[in-house]
Amino acid sequence: MHTKSWHSVGPSLDACIKCNICTSYCPVTAVTDLFPGPKYVGPQAQRFRENGQPHSPDHSVDYCSGCRVCNEVCPTGVKIAELNARARAQIVAENGLPLRNRLLGRNETLGKLAQIAPRLANLSLHNPVSRVLAEKVMGIARHAPLPRFSESGTFGDWFQRTQHERLKSDKKAVYFHGCATMYYEPFVGKAAVAVLEHNGYEVIVPPQNCCGLPLLSNGEFDEAAKYHSNNVNKMRIYAQAGLDIVGTSTSCTLTLKEEAPELLDAFDEGSNQLKMATWDIFEWLRERYEAGELKTDFRRMEMVLPYHAPCQYRAHRVGKPALDILRLIPGVDVRESHARCCGIAGTYGYKAEKYQIGMDVGAELFDFVAEQGDVALTACDSETCRWQLEHGTDKPSRHPIEILAAAYGLYELNGRDVVHS
Amino acid sequence: MLDLLVIGAGLTGLTAAYTAAKSGLRVKVIAKGLGAMHWGAGTLDILGYLPGEEGAVKRPLAAISQLPDGHPYRLAGDVAGVLATFVALTEEIGLPFQREVGRRLTQINADSENLLLPSPVGAARPAFAAPVGQLGGDLSRPEPMLIVGFTGLRDFYPQLIAENLTRQGYPARAAFLPLAVVSGRRDNTAVSIARELDNPDQRQKLAQALRPLLKPGERVGLPAILGLDDHMQALADLQGLMGTAVFEIPTLPPSVPGMRLFRALEERLQRLGVRVEVGMEVTGANRGWRPETRDSQSPISNLQSPISIEWVETETSARPLKHRARAFLLATGGILGGGFESDVNGRVWEPIFNLPLTAPQKRSGWFRPAFLDPQGHPVFNGGVAVSPDFRPVDGAGRPLFANVWAAGGLLANFDPILERSLSGTAVVTGMAAAQAIVEHVKCEP
Ligand SMILES: Cc1cc2nc3c(=O)[nH]c(=O)nc-3n(C[C@H](O)[C@H](O)[C@H](O)COP(=O)(O)OP(=O)(O)OC[C@H]3O[C@@H](n4cnc5c(N)ncnc54)[C@H](O)[C@@H]3O)c2cc1C
Ligand code: SF4
Ligand code: SF4
Ligand code: SF4
Repeated sequence: MHTKSWHSVGPSLDACIKCNICTSYCPVTAVTDLFPGPKYVGPQAQRFRENGQPHSPDHSVDYCSGCRVCNEVCPTGVKIAELNARARAQIVAENGLPLRNRLLGRNETLGKLAQIAPRLANLSLHNPVSRVLAEKVMGIARHAPLPRFSESGTFGDWFQRTQHERLKSDKKAVYFHGCATMYYEPFVGKAAVAVLEHNGYEVIVPPQNCCGLPLLSNGEFDEAAKYHSNNVNKMRIYAQAGLDIVGTSTSCTLTLKEEAPELLDAFDEGSNQLKMATWDIFEWLRERYEAGELKTDFRRMEMVLPYHAPCQYRAHRVGKPALDILRLIPGVDVRESHARCCGIAGTYGYKAEKYQIGMDVGAELFDFVAEQGDVALTACDSETCRWQLEHGTDKPSRHPIEILAAAYGLYELNGRDVVHS
Repeated sequence: MLDLLVIGAGLTGLTAAYTAAKSGLRVKVIAKGLGAMHWGAGTLDILGYLPGEEGAVKRPLAAISQLPDGHPYRLAGDVAGVLATFVALTEEIGLPFQREVGRRLTQINADSENLLLPSPVGAARPAFAAPVGQLGGDLSRPEPMLIVGFTGLRDFYPQLIAENLTRQGYPARAAFLPLAVVSGRRDNTAVSIARELDNPDQRQKLAQALRPLLKPGERVGLPAILGLDDHMQALADLQGLMGTAVFEIPTLPPSVPGMRLFRALEERLQRLGVRVEVGMEVTGANRGWRPETRDSQSPISNLQSPISIEWVETETSARPLKHRARAFLLATGGILGGGFESDVNGRVWEPIFNLPLTAPQKRSGWFRPAFLDPQGHPVFNGGVAVSPDFRPVDGAGRPLFANVWAAGGLLANFDPILERSLSGTAVVTGMAAAQAIVEHVKCEP
């Protein structure tokens, strides 16, 4: 059995003054009795988990979505969400993991398999009969917004195929695409490449693995550690060469920066080099903007755009950089959502027993979008959040990088493809 | 570039941000976590007690002249004027602070007397003004009180409150209702019940259950649970259904009235274009330009004008993030708000600008022997000494930085706990400092 060390979060425990502010703001506690709230499952229950206690005192921690609202509001800086993530890992270590969680944790493997015959894979995943079966057999909620595999090849295929068209330059940036862009949404990667090249950067896409986050959030730490060390081995040379590694998936970049090192106790030099070189793409673009290096030759786009910053930004602790940049585009009226969470929380809302909780949590966001009138699109940086947003609002959702690429005249927002000049 | 970066999202930071943004400055608020507003009663407490004196203060504005020279109120000058601005703000955000139910608070002067309101343990608590929901509890009113709690709701003790009030000559009795009347949930806090009462049907049910308990002529005191987002309507509905005054008594934390105020202020700021970003801990400012290195780099310490801060930085998931602004307001709340750090030896320091503090530097000097010592405890008296325009100063009274201001709970020369002046000093110094900043920014090229 593997026990994880608590040392990076343990000390923050003693700072808890039991004020229950976290519980007052937790979006999951607000909608269900099944979850008693951050104070109870975090700092309180933690007292009974430390020092080789064989059993976790309470399994309700499984209902924590990991949205980190609690961390953000806690006046004394208790790392509650991290305590909960470790407690979940402990439960997995003791009880084993259902097949469902194993599958949800393996985006990359699924993606590779599906790419053998993506249409068939979509058909077999998305028909009502198989969804009912998936719910009955594996507990994957039948109405949850499962993504569709790309039927026009992966992002990697496209990048290979278009090598001769790619910009060559002294300025270089490394792109981390993550599984979602690779297998489901290659167009997000295309938009990112277009934006980077427009700003004079040659884009390098090194071989890379899944960041391991889905495994981490399901408590499979040993597997995640393999993925992470692969990524370190494949990408540290770029960090050593002083190149920035930018990603369009807020959860992947967070994992490379902090989740993997902290949860896996990976504090080696390579992990640290990768951490310090990794940027969320808008965090990086904002930095370019503040240095006066970002091109602002935007064309005017008349639109009201409800924007939801995904929970991972809360953990990045960099504010809302996409909001800062999108607001530069003339004509775009960006409306900032203050909803606490969309409810999908990675793989949380896919689980049959949590689907309704996820939808109830998300209601705050769906209502916000409805209040903005008849808008054409919404925007959010995280893929799973976008799928949930589309599911909850019936409106298409875009990654802010797609909006930005469109504002540069490089991208078509409806067809979701780069414009061929 | 930002004109003003406010550090701290307590009452000080938010009211300062409002004042500056209203005057046209570009403002942002960043904070590590939520402010102490979530602990407080949510009333406007100007001055409840004077250091060294036993009884409660009757006329707080008149009593300000008895406070020592360096006291934040003495620095602020026109306290009544600033408070009037705050009261107008509470009206703007739909949570009006008043002194008498239904009467707008337009006159604030030296004759204005403190109200006495029931505290969470049934003490008579001096407050200058309060959200209308608490005013029905005014202890100068003659009607006897029915204090109603809910079985199973922690954080509110009606029997204790009624007993204590009666003992002090304010007739009150206690009653209980089952929690199921207002909530279908197993586990409840004041906040979750407040959310339930945002729903009009639940108010109906509550009124129905309350009616048989009530004797003619009584007013009803409830824990502060009357709605979170729809409080004013919830209050009006319940008073209408009951046909008598219904009022809230603050509970133990988290405080629903404090949460309402925070949410309404935040929303007002958003409409003024001010972003409030929490979860951001400021860890330092312009490295190498700290005051302690200034003296060793001798030429600079001899310069007449103090140095400017270019940016402060917050910790993130990887590298620190820089926040640039023309002016910075430190509103981190001192020892209670998390604005100061301390070690086991009792050394206390301000971690962002490394400002000199007046706190006693040995833990043995933090507290006086008696818990309720009328002189208060030295640790709460310590803090950041500022100039009359709220700029942190060195031992000789000279401003340390050209563009840094400080306000709220972190200031030196007062003891907000003992004085019961927490929210009053937060508002008055926050808004006064913001005015000084507005003048500074507008004069700068
Ligand atoms: C025990 C206790 C009892 C109280 N009782 C009452 C009461 O009875 N009545 C009442 O009205 N009020 C009460 N209060 C609250 C009171 O209103 C506030 O303490 C007071 O208003 C001071 O407000 P402030 O804005 O200066 O600081 P605070 O409200 O303390 O806010 C400080 C802010 O600064 C932030 N911060 C601190 N350090 C950093 C950093 N390094 N980087 C970024 N941000 C930082 C914090 O996260 C927070 O947002 C009580 C508070 C406490 C702690
Ligand atoms: S908000 Fe922080 S200090 Fe308060 S109960 Fe939760 S963990 Fe403890
Ligand atoms: S991470 Fe989110 S769901 Fe989990 S305890 Fe914190 S606030 Fe609640
Ligand atoms: S899916 Fe998005 S909003 Fe929802 S939990 Fe994740 S990051 Fe948060």
